[in-house]
Amino acid sequence: MASKEQIPSPAQGVGPIYRPDGEKPTATVSKEVSYDNVHVLPQTPQLIALLTMIRDGRTARADFIFYSNRIIRLLVEEGLNHLPVVEQSIQTPVGRDYLGVKFEGKICGVSIMRAGEAMEQGLRDCCRSVRIGKILIQRDEETCMPKLFYDKLPADIADRWVLLLDPMFATGGSATLAVEVLKERGVPEHRILFLNLIASPSGVAEFAGKYPKLRVVTAFIDQGLDEKKYIVPGLGDFGDRYYTL
Amino acid sequence: MEIVKSLNLPWVVILSLDSFYKSLSPEEHRQAHANQYDFDCPDAFDFDVLVDTLKDLKKGKKAHIPVYSFAEHQRQPQTTTLYSPRVIVFDGILALHDPRIVDLLDVKIFVEADMDVCLGRRILRDVRDRGRDIEGIIKQWFAFVKPSYTKYVDAQRQVSDIIIPRGIENLTAIDMVVKHIQRKLQEKSEQHTEALRNLGLIAAKVELPPNVHVMPSTPQFVGMNTILQTPETQQDDFVFYLDRLASILIEKALDMSPYAPTIVETPQGNKYQGLHPNGIVSAVAILRGGSCMETALKRTIPDCITGRLLIQTNETSQEPELHYLKIQPGIEGHSMVMLLDPQMASGGAALMAVRVLVDHGVQEDRIVFVTCAAGETGLKRLTAVYPKIKVVVGRIENEAEARWMEKRYFGC
Repeated sequence: MASKEQIPSPAQGVGPIYRPDGEKPTATVSKEVSYDNVHVLPQTPQLIALLTMIRDGRTARADFIFYSNRIIRLLVEEGLNHLPVVEQSIQTPVGRDYLGVKFEGKICGVSIMRAGEAMEQGLRDCCRSVRIGKILIQRDEETCMPKLFYDKLPADIADRWVLLLDPMFATGGSATLAVEVLKERGVPEHRILFLNLIASPSGVAEFAGKYPKLRVVTAFIDQGLDEKKYIVPGLGDFGDRYYTL
Repeated sequence: MEIVKSLNLPWVVILSLDSFYKSLSPEEHRQAHANQYDFDCPDAFDFDVLVDTLKDLKKGKKAHIPVYSFAEHQRQPQTTTLYSPRVIVFDGILALHDPRIVDLLDVKIFVEADMDVCLGRRILRDVRDRGRDIEGIIKQWFAFVKPSYTKYVDAQRQVSDIIIPRGIENLTAIDMVVKHIQRKLQEKSEQHTEALRNLGLIAAKVELPPNVHVMPSTPQFVGMNTILQTPETQQDDFVFYLDRLASILIEKALDMSPYAPTIVETPQGNKYQGLHPNGIVSAVAILRGGSCMETALKRTIPDCITGRLLIQTNETSQEPELHYLKIQPGIEGHSMVMLLDPQMASGGAALMAVRVLVDHGVQEDRIVFVTCAAGETGLKRLTAVYPKIKVVVGRIENEAEARWMEKRYFGC
C-alpha cells in the first residue's frame, strides 16, 4: 500500500463545463478510488478554493471555522442524498400539481470526539433538531491502539440512519472502532454514512473494503500518509485549528 | 410642470438646460458679478455635454447631470445621476437651438410668453432663488436677454411641432400634449409586449444553453422543493428550507466565479496546489423576492457587498417597472455579480435587472442569475437576449407562474 501512495495526486483544470479547458485554472484534485461505496464530492473550483483556505497554515481560526463549516454543509447535503425518500404528490400554493418526495426514516448524528464535534454545526444547519450522539476514542498509551473511552448514543439508534462524523481520516482506526460500537448497538452497516473532509487513500480503501455496505462521503482523498501517519498534505490537527489554536 | 403633473406617471424627469451652463473663468466671473456677462446666448451653454447626456438617456444608459451653482457661476463637483426615466421633459430658453438636440427630441414644444410676464417672473426667480439684486437683473435684461430673445429664442419657432400661446393658462394645449405623450407611451408598451412575445417564440425553438445550470434532481433537492411547495408547510419551516436550498444555489453559482492557482503550506509544512478566488464577488437582490435569498448569501459570503433593485410588474400593462435602485459603487470592476431572485416567470424583471447591470458597466459574462424556480420560456428569452450571462436555477416550471415564494417567506 505504501508504494501506491507515492503516486502523486492528480492535477487538472477545474471549472464549469461551458468554460474552455485552456481557461480553467489548474489545481491538485482528489485521488480517485474504485470503491462503489466511496463518494468524493465533485472537485469544483469552489470546493478546491475552500479546501485551499483551510489547508493554509496562515488562515486564522475564525476563517478556518467558517470555511470548514461551508465544506461540511456540502458534505452533509451530499450525505443526506443517500437517505431514502418516498414519492409524494402535492398541490402547490398556485394550484399546480407537483410530484415530489418525502424524507423517509429517522436520522441521527454521531460525532467522534473531539474533531467530529466540529462538524455538528454544519449538520444542524441542514437538519434542525437532529439528535447527536458522541463517541470518545483515544489512543491507548500501552498498546498504541485506539480505545473506546466514552459513548452516549440515542436509545433507539438501532432504528435510525446514522451520520458518523469525523473530519480527518488517516489510518481509520477511530472510525473502524466507532463503526464496531454502532454495530454492537444494532445499527445495520448499510444505515451508516461516514462523513469526512479529508481521507488518506490507504485508510479509505481499507475501510471501504472492510465495510462494503457502509457509505463514505468525503470532500477529498489526499496524497497519502507520512511516517507519523499524518495525512499529506493534510491541514494539520483539525481539532486544534478549530477549537484552540 | 403642468404637463408633468397631468401625466401622473412615475419616472417623468425634468431636465433643465440651466444645468448645462459652462463654468466661468475668473474674468468672466467678474463680468457676471457686474452683470456684464451674457447668459442668454448659445455660447453660455455646454451643448456638447448636453448632446452626450441626452444620447445616453435615450439609449437607456445611466447619465450624470451636472449641478450648476447660480450664486458661484460654477459647475459643482458633484453630479445628479439620472437613470432610465420614461419621459424626459427637457426645458430651457434655448432648448431647441442646437440642431443635434432637436434631432433627439420626440416632441418639440415652443411655449409663448408675454415679455412683460417674462421679466416679472425673472425678477422674482433671480432674487429669490439665485441671490441677485433687482438693478442687476434689469441691466442684464436689456443688455442680453431681450436681444437674445429676438436673435435666438424666437428663431426656435421654426423647428417646433407645437406652439403654445399663453403658456401655463392654456389648458387645452396642455391637455393635447399630455394625450399625445400618453398615446406614444401606450404604443411603446404594446411594442415591448410584442417584442417579448416574439422573443419567446424564437427562444421556444432552442434548447437551454450550457451556461444555464439546472440543479440535478437529487432526493434532498426534490424533497426540499416538495416541502416548499406544500401549502400546509409552516412559515418557519418554509424559511428554514428556502435558506437551505438557496445556500446550495449560491454555492453552485460561486463555481462560476474566477479562481487563480495558488500554492499554500499546511501547518506541517506540506505544500498544496490549490485555488484562490480572484477578485470581488458581489450580489444584487431584485426586490422584494431577492431579499429571501440574502440569509443564504450571508451564510456563504458573510460580508458580501449587496446592491438592490426594486422591480414591480405593472398590473395593467404587465410590464416590469424599475422603482428603486441602489447599485454598489465599483460594480463594474467586480469579478462576478450574482443577481438574486427566487422566482422568475416570463423573464421581464430579470431582463430589466440584467439590463440595469449592463448599463452600470458590468460585463455580461460576469453576471450570474440565481433563482429557485424559473419558467423555461423565460430562461430562453433571457439567454437569447444576453447569451453570455450564466444562470443557476433550482427547478424548471413550464407555465408562467405568479410569484408566490416571497409571500410565503415573509408571511404577507
